Amino acid sequence: MKSNTNNTAAGTAGGNKTGIAGRGASFPAACGILLACLFLLCGMSAKPSVKVAICTLKNGDYQLLVCGKPYVVKGVCYNPVPIGQGSDYAWWQDTHKPWLTDGRMMKEMGVNTIRLYEPADDAAEVKAVMNDLYKLYNIRVIMGNWLGFWEYPGPFYGDQDFRDKVKEKVLDMVRTYKDEPGILFWLLGNENNYSFSGQINPWSTDEIDKEPDPVKQRAMRARIYYTFVNELAQEIHKIDPGHPVALGNGELVGLECAANYCPDVDLLGCIIYRGKTFGNLFNSLKATFDKPVVLTEFGADSYDSYRNREDQDMQAFFLESQWRQIYQNLAGRREGTGNCLGGVMFEWTDEWWKNNPNSPATWTVHDTQPRWSNGSYYFDIKAKDSLNMNEEWFGIVALSPDEEGSGLDLRIPRKAYYVVREFWKRPRNNREIQKEPVEKNTAGSGLKGMPIKDLIKQCPLEDGKK
Amino acid sequence: MRKLLMVTLIAVFASAFTTTLERAQADNLKSFSVYTDSKSPDNHYAASGWMGDFGDIKMNDQALENPHSGSTSIEFSYSAKKSQGQGWAGVYWQNPANNWGSKKGGFDLTGMTKLAFWARGAKGGEIIQKFVVGGIKGDYSDSAAAEFGPVELTDTWKEYTINLAGRDLSYISGGFGWVTTADLNPDGCVFYIDDIKFSVDQDMKPEGKKQQDMPFYVYSDKSSVSNHFVASGWMGDYGDIKYEGSSTEDPYLGDTCIKVVYTAKGAQGARWGGIYWQNPANNWGSIDAGFDLSKATKFTFWARGAKGGERIEEFKIGGIMGEFSDSDTAGIGPVVLTKDWQQYSIDLKGKDLSFIIGGFCWATNADVNPDGVIFYLDEIKYE
Repeated sequence: MKSNTNNTAAGTAGGNKTGIAGRGASFPAACGILLACLFLLCGMSAKPSVKVAICTLKNGDYQLLVCGKPYVVKGVCYNPVPIGQGSDYAWWQDTHKPWLTDGRMMKEMGVNTIRLYEPADDAAEVKAVMNDLYKLYNIRVIMGNWLGFWEYPGPFYGDQDFRDKVKEKVLDMVRTYKDEPGILFWLLGNENNYSFSGQINPWSTDEIDKEPDPVKQRAMRARIYYTFVNELAQEIHKIDPGHPVALGNGELVGLECAANYCPDVDLLGCIIYRGKTFGNLFNSLKATFDKPVVLTEFGADSYDSYRNREDQDMQAFFLESQWRQIYQNLAGRREGTGNCLGGVMFEWTDEWWKNNPNSPATWTVHDTQPRWSNGSYYFDIKAKDSLNMNEEWFGIVALSPDEEGSGLDLRIPRKAYYVVREFWKRPRNNREIQKEPVEKNTAGSGLKGMPIKDLIKQCPLEDGKK
Repeated sequence: MRKLLMVTLIAVFASAFTTTLERAQADNLKSFSVYTDSKSPDNHYAASGWMGDFGDIKMNDQALENPHSGSTSIEFSYSAKKSQGQGWAGVYWQNPANNWGSKKGGFDLTGMTKLAFWARGAKGGEIIQKFVVGGIKGDYSDSAAAEFGPVELTDTWKEYTINLAGRDLSYISGGFGWVTTADLNPDGCVFYIDDIKFSVDQDMKPEGKKQQDMPFYVYSDKSSVSNHFVASGWMGDYGDIKYEGSSTEDPYLGDTCIKVVYTAKGAQGARWGGIYWQNPANNWGSIDAGFDLSKATKFTFWARGAKGGERIEEFKIGGIMGEFSDSDTAGIGPVVLTKDWQQYSIDLKGKDLSFIIGGFCWATNADVNPDGVIFYLDEIKYE
């Protein structure tokens, strides 16, 4: 979505149940590494390296712990490109610091996390943004990396040189930002798994080319890609045991393979656009790839392509419904599966460049031409050719041209901003905080049996100020 | 004076309308007629909503031959000639006539618990895919939708009932309807309907969606009453697709199989094509219908290519997204077909099949089949 692709993947939750490397083998191991390192380091430093961990509760549910406290990811995708600018705009360098305005509004809404798709080249600029957001507004960052998915002529995950190049870039990112207090977790890839079909950002190897069976070709690509991601996860854990590593994935496509080849990632970051419901996603995950999940992209646009008008009610309706499902599947909720850690809405502000990325003249126009179709956003599915998804209208916050010379486009919260804010204040039929104790055996290390309150003591950082 | 007259007329009209609504929901009203007899003042709806291949339908609402009661019944002749290229047809009884939800009408039928009607076929064996109550969508949408079927008619009058207990009947503009398909009646059919009415029956209890027993067929054989979905959801380059649900070219089992021709000419410029089998026909998630197939653990079908080597990108079940989305989806593919019949299976363990409107689907494209494909399907079922 972020890259202006047209992949909806609606309704392609996929895969059959297969044998998996169970949670008992993989997930606790990763969690154990994190907690063990905390144990080792907490006596050596006043600032422990481990601040973020994922643990299994006694009932088998998964929970994200930040400084030992349950943390529900309440996030937004963040790419504040101003009106009239394109995808390559260096907003990090914007002297008007849009993230200060946005951060304040986010905090007032209840947002605690942003997702950055990939950091800019200048680490100092990125760190400045992260520090401002964290220190001023207690907003953490899910830091992503495309894993070379948009490299020309293609993301050749079977090529060692390409892998080395991507790996170096990823590990350099981890080394650079791992000690930033605002880092929540690393997110590897986005919808890269859609390339397994050979039809989106196609890539291959000699071995794949020799295979006549397209099903086997797909499985070969999945094995190569997920094995590579797993290598990255292992390397990241060595460098930074303090933050989990997520596998970014479009829908559930390919995850039956990831279960076999990607055991060392700590969680799944799922990109999903299914309208008012996520369907059987959480249950399906249990059966195919039993990892905790953060929905790292979901949401709804606010433009009714059928009636040709903005419809903030429509967007708010979908987002509230989606958040309700997320909360139903958090740890300890009776009605859910307990494997969801939260979600990241797409996106904070509208992006006026997206419909015509190569036509700067159109970037000052808020384009109403829908680009793709998704029947699960059914209010305007009767639009011409069933095209109902408006890429430039996904913002929780609308932009209006800066007519007062402030240097920043005016931010106008849409109805969804208020509806989600109120939902977060009083999640209906849900308890906000999980009360069940962490399954102590999860750690499998010197921390076995360590009470949560002691973990909290190791992390007297900003969370303690709240 | 003119103003006063207008106000008076409006008041009288509004009063009459209110009276009608109130009459339907009065405690002492035990029944409410859709159709009783030709020109009966008790008829509250008009058989005006002709759908699908409406050119295939002929209606005689004053059929004198052997009515169930009174002096007339309604005779329908369905030719199955696909006059509008749809492959299905049906008629809604509407209030007011021709109201597809664009204007306020209908009745508040709160308190009614069933709709009963009588039907017979001219010969017996005629298959009506479903009978319906409500379900009209629009600015003034019906508050409920219910259906019953498929039904194989007999040559004698028989009463059928649609359970409405627990339904919100506060606004029903589509009082009754029937739908059937050319697949189910390849040679067309003639049938009769009489005495359609809502009524209060304290013995009717709200029913949840029934878990269907296995095997549950998408397609068994042409005209089979066990065919539960309709191949109505043509996608992509639909002009490149030809569908024959009664092919006799070497069926795997029974008398017929399905023959699909995809020419890959790009009639709509999409460069791909596919068909969804839906319930009801053309339901892209806008209608609360479908089946609870929770008892299924796998989905199987037989397929073969005309030459062998035909590539189908995906076979799948579920996955329709809309206001009433399928509860899950599962699929296989790409599949390269062989010249001989092969059985394919989709594992459904762990899937939520409690709500399935998209019973089956195939899709392929011009890139992998530049010269098009011809392939055959048979014995498509949940097990």
